[in-house]
Amino acid sequence: MPRRKDIKKVLMIGSGPIIIGQACEFDYSGSQACKALREEGYFTILVNSNPATIMTDPGMADVTYIEPLSVEMVTKIIAKERPDAVLPTLGGQTGLNLTFFLMKEGVLKKYSVESIGASVEAISCAEDRQLFKKAMQEIGVGVPKSGIADSLEEGMKIGLNIGFPLILRPAYCLGGSGGATAYNKEELEAFLNKGLETSPVHQVLVEQSVLGWKEIEFEVIRDCADNVIMITSMENVDPMGVHTGDSIVVAPAQTLTAEEYNNFVNLSKRIIRRVGVSGGGANIQFGQNPANGEIVIIEVNPRLSRSSALASKATGFPIARVATKLAVGLTLPEVMNQITGRTTSFFEPTVDYCVFKVCRFTFEKFAKTERLLNTSMKAVGEAMSIGRNFKESFQKGLRSIEISRYGFGADGKDKISDAALKKANAGLLKLIKDKIRIPNDERMFYIRYALKAGLSIEEIHRLSKIDCWFLDNMQQLVELEEEIKKYRNKKDNDALEIPVDLLLQAKKDGFSDRQLAFLLNAKENKVREFRNKNNIKAAYKLVDTCAGEFHAKQPYFYSTYETAQEARVSKNKKVVILGGGPNRIGQGIEFDYCCCHAAYALKEAGYESIMINCNPETVSTDYDTSDRLYFEPLTLEDILNIIELEKPVGVIVQFGGQTPLNLAVPLRKAGVNLLGTSADSIDIAEDRKRFKQILHKLDLLQPANGTAFTFTEAKAVAAEIGYPVLVRPSYVLGGRAMEIVYDEATLEKFISEAAEVSGEHPVLIDKFLEDAIEVDVDLIGDGETYVIGGMLEHIEEAGIHSGDSAMAIPAHTLSEELLNKVREATYKMAGELKVIGLMNVQYAIKDEQVYILEVNPRASRTVPFVSKTIGIPLAKLATRVMLGAKLKDLKFTQEIVPKHVAVKESVFPFNRFPGVDIILGPEMKSTGEVMGLDVDFGRAYIKSQLAAGQKLPRQGNVFISVRDKDKNAVIPIARKLVDLGFRIYATSGTAEILKKSRIGVKVLPKIAEGRPNVLDLMKDGKVQLVINTPSGRIPRQDEIKIRSQVVIYNIPYTTTISAAQATVSGIEVLLKKDLDVKALQQYHKKAASSQSRQVTRNGKNKPKNR
Amino acid sequence: MRAVLVLEDGRVFPGRGLGVEGERIGELFFNTAVVGYQEMLTDPANAGKILVLTYPLIGNYGCAAKFNESKQAWPFGFVIKENSRIYSNWQAKESLADFVKKQKILTIQGVDTRTLAVHLRQKGQMLGVVSTLNFEPKGLIEKIKAFRKNQSASFLPAISAHKPEHLTKRRSGAKKIGILDLGITKSIIRQLEALGLAIIVLPYNFPPKEILRLKLHGLIVSSGPEEDPGLREVVENVGDLIAKMPMLGISTGHQVISRALGGKLAKMKLGHHGVNLPIYNPASYKGAITVQNHSWVVDADSLAKIKNIKITAYNLNDRSIEEIESKKLKIIGTQYIPASPGFNEINSTLKNFVKYLKRSS
Repeated sequence: MPRRKDIKKVLMIGSGPIIIGQACEFDYSGSQACKALREEGYFTILVNSNPATIMTDPGMADVTYIEPLSVEMVTKIIAKERPDAVLPTLGGQTGLNLTFFLMKEGVLKKYSVESIGASVEAISCAEDRQLFKKAMQEIGVGVPKSGIADSLEEGMKIGLNIGFPLILRPAYCLGGSGGATAYNKEELEAFLNKGLETSPVHQVLVEQSVLGWKEIEFEVIRDCADNVIMITSMENVDPMGVHTGDSIVVAPAQTLTAEEYNNFVNLSKRIIRRVGVSGGGANIQFGQNPANGEIVIIEVNPRLSRSSALASKATGFPIARVATKLAVGLTLPEVMNQITGRTTSFFEPTVDYCVFKVCRFTFEKFAKTERLLNTSMKAVGEAMSIGRNFKESFQKGLRSIEISRYGFGADGKDKISDAALKKANAGLLKLIKDKIRIPNDERMFYIRYALKAGLSIEEIHRLSKIDCWFLDNMQQLVELEEEIKKYRNKKDNDALEIPVDLLLQAKKDGFSDRQLAFLLNAKENKVREFRNKNNIKAAYKLVDTCAGEFHAKQPYFYSTYETAQEARVSKNKKVVILGGGPNRIGQGIEFDYCCCHAAYALKEAGYESIMINCNPETVSTDYDTSDRLYFEPLTLEDILNIIELEKPVGVIVQFGGQTPLNLAVPLRKAGVNLLGTSADSIDIAEDRKRFKQILHKLDLLQPANGTAFTFTEAKAVAAEIGYPVLVRPSYVLGGRAMEIVYDEATLEKFISEAAEVSGEHPVLIDKFLEDAIEVDVDLIGDGETYVIGGMLEHIEEAGIHSGDSAMAIPAHTLSEELLNKVREATYKMAGELKVIGLMNVQYAIKDEQVYILEVNPRASRTVPFVSKTIGIPLAKLATRVMLGAKLKDLKFTQEIVPKHVAVKESVFPFNRFPGVDIILGPEMKSTGEVMGLDVDFGRAYIKSQLAAGQKLPRQGNVFISVRDKDKNAVIPIARKLVDLGFRIYATSGTAEILKKSRIGVKVLPKIAEGRPNVLDLMKDGKVQLVINTPSGRIPRQDEIKIRSQVVIYNIPYTTTISAAQATVSGIEVLLKKDLDVKALQQYHKKAASSQSRQVTRNGKNKPKNR
Repeated sequence: MRAVLVLEDGRVFPGRGLGVEGERIGELFFNTAVVGYQEMLTDPANAGKILVLTYPLIGNYGCAAKFNESKQAWPFGFVIKENSRIYSNWQAKESLADFVKKQKILTIQGVDTRTLAVHLRQKGQMLGVVSTLNFEPKGLIEKIKAFRKNQSASFLPAISAHKPEHLTKRRSGAKKIGILDLGITKSIIRQLEALGLAIIVLPYNFPPKEILRLKLHGLIVSSGPEEDPGLREVVENVGDLIAKMPMLGISTGHQVISRALGGKLAKMKLGHHGVNLPIYNPASYKGAITVQNHSWVVDADSLAKIKNIKITAYNLNDRSIEEIESKKLKIIGTQYIPASPGFNEINSTLKNFVKYLKRSS
């Protein structure tokens, strides 16, 4: 049926900041949707609070709002833009929930907005547990025994009736947050309490546990003519009990018979019809009893999901694009399949490879949490790998997640040696068995240990419930490893003695050169040479949606060791872009944004773009972002294979974050031409000693510092520069293992940890500047001209990782004089490093002195934020510059200081890691960011807080407890709060100071001393805001309890004085003025005329000359 | 065990055997389904062929007698990428290796079946030979050439029922249908049984007069091998029955009915072999995803001349004929296979056919 003509304007809701359970897959699906809508001629209005997305680029939608995703703000957008329809299915659970609440509050009706893609009825049917259960029973689909609890009593009753173990799922929660498994009465009670709090509608599903069952997922799509197709099946290697977002997953399912498979497809089709999706897709999760085939349905997502992004990338079928077209009334036969270019979308994709998804965890960031996996998702990212068999795909996957492993062990990094495993004692065996029995992030490696220690597949299956088919494949890898080891060179002369056939077999089963080098006692490059000499080279096969049945027009590629090379190497000028790999804390969507811009810029400049990445959630791995996409791990071996084949003119390593940057030197050594800033300059910035010399030469300041390899050395350095010191390993990302140390004992502990993280690199020790103001500067240079993109003043003081700090453009407290000092330093540094492309510098400003903390000659996390603030696509320009263009020709030669204010706020995953203290520090902990954009700082800040999910109060009670040092600073804050009508609660110390300043305050007993204390008040909903700064480096138990409760009850909080000041001025805005919405395009339309000013190198204002 | 696959055009694919020795020649075709190897092997329509699977991991869920589509496996050769050394499914009774050994299916594993499929896509379906005995391509190609010259013998006598077999006791009121057995599959029979029909399976060459004597409510001409010399006789027989009872032709059966009506067949370059093939009805936007297994197709021009026959579905990708219907003659022909959508469910085409039966009684 032709597209709907009764709809003209469509509102798309994005998914907001990256959080656990909702990552950049929604940028990928949202961007595809925007393109699809505009292709069909609809006027597209987009709202998303996340600036680091491609979808919020001004060209993607007709009108783009970077505004908080709240009912209030979106209502304003609807009132202003008057869309005919809202498309809620591309913005994850956030988009779906927001639409649901817009419906509930009558907004959709009031403004006659239709929900397309998934009707509100369909959303309710899938999301409301009771409706869903009833619907499934109606169509004969089994559901686990369950009941819905609105209260603790009800939940206890239901749970005890069903019997343990039980799964608890809060309603309307994404990524299973708040989900848990209860094995006894006590746990049931605890989890019910938590779940009822977590659920926005205070509802928890109490469900029969199907732990250990197979977990099978299907992706289906349905159009308005009732055509339904199945995209792919997926089988979780980790059986039921581990959240599917944390599970290792293969596609297609491997252990289902044809009949079972067929039946799942049929059930999926029945379900999507019953739920009522009639122009979109759904992800359906089943549990299957492996002993008798009994099937129960676990969940339906009537929207694009993380799994659908995976299904999309696994098959080549662009689900988001097609679902969007179906949402506006087209049918599957009318939508072309762009991969084949000759078939329509009414065709079930089929594959001739095995796809593997591995999750990336960051337990190391949250030291106090157990490394366990359960039904509440913990993974922060994922990688996808493709191979011709499970073994190849599995090993490629394990080396794709960048946990410095190069396959299924045997890479010299195994925690337990073969020798120890051969004569494993009872203690070791118990450890191994426990690690297999209780799901955790290292389970696969422990399965290898178990196999090596002689445990049978049956026993491992009994412990883990992982299907024997997967375990046997792992066993085959262990056997092959043993076979390879027989040819180990004992002479240490790097010669390879392995038979060529065996080597080929090893490559076919996914062994990396690195593993082979370890097993054969040779260097990695020798293995490579030997392979090339014997013509064992990677062949590239296609992801073509059809298993080769049709010639594909626009496929993408994966490597394998097969007979025929299907790569389509052109003779055109081309450039390789190295992507960022799996998302993790410290390296997320911001870098993918930059990589996409690099691809767009290459196209503009007449180059072919070749993308290498393995993250299925990204826009960069979309089939039409680059000219050719290689879905491959980002390791030296895999990258060199492609470079040798494609012979690009150069490689861009600046944009993918630390992953490609770490490869810069090895790639350079292998003779690869790196575009942009030289590898030598990169090395200067990374090498402390060289960096120090340069600073000295340029007469720039740096906090006193030194390097150390041992504790003795570290002690000496620290003594010389004086405590407190900041210790960190070099060459790491996101402040991993970075700490502020106040004394020698703590130093010793941290040195040992840091040494482990950075390997052969030294540990860096810096003088820590207390209470300094931090500034981030992003700059672009072409080797001759350098221009500051943005200067971001941090709201939190120095010492908090820049990825976790809130920041503002323009600087909101620093004097122009100081800013000019920063400008001067930045330009000096850029000139010295001859920056070609992007550079980020971090400064600390204390006592009017400007100290350089760090220089990164690459795209930083803030590039998309800055680009959106100033209206200039910095990453795109940087790419052009790397290709030889001059900034002058690109017409960007002056820093732009906007008249409007943009505030970046970070978003944290603390609710996923119970017991973890929420205090910020030098180690990065945030998963994502939001942008608040408005005419002044107060408004922009409050928007950033709203967007980050802080429900800032307009009235009520504020609890204040600050350390001695902050007691004076908190007085004006408290006074302002009282003026605004808030009531203050405080503990005795803080209260005393406030009373002295004649501020009315109610004193609360310390937690151990009496009740009701602050915990009780929080539980009763009587605390609307918490201001709590940590009392010292070893936080008191009381404080930790308060702060963890804050997370549980989702009470807004600040842990620094500066953030408290900003928050209070934000609340003032909220009370006194009404927030308004304004499209990004509007800001920049004006930016070109009078609103912003341009600033010359020395900070002088410059009249506009455009 | 060393094995080799040599194609008619000289292309050689080395591999390893899977327990069965020998040398067999047949026409190669590939199927893109991810699951269903046992069903494909036991589908009589594949008799004498060399079956290539593009999905690389085969044997994962083992084999069990309950999944057989007929009494035995039929292809001459079976070409796969990786055979699973273990199987894992609660219903499995034996491994794929044991199954092919028992069924004496000459199997070659370790073949880059994607490259083979792409080659067949580019060059068209062709003959090939699987051998574990001789590895010299030249000699094997000579054998293929010789094979091509000789008319191959009919598989139908081996495939088909030898005498009429009543599958179900006739319940009162149940409609009685005959199945002209060119290679009927159990999955179709199960659906017909679920429809409450009384079924008589008839030998492929059962004479029309005797069929009429059975007073059937309808006749199904089943799927089966497409190029079999025995089909000529079947076409003639079916011609005698047209308009005398409602008729459903499935895949090869559809081709047989079309020929009996005066239609002509054309060989396709690649055929349709898979479970993901889209068909559509030109009158609506509603289509279906179907299971198919055929290399020949009814020529649309030849059908255009025949009165009373309407084309009711086309293949969405290549516009070939997928379904014909004649309300007057009470005939439905489906090039696709009206497979069951899932456990205990019945394909709507079979249900439509039953409606004709009602009208006739």
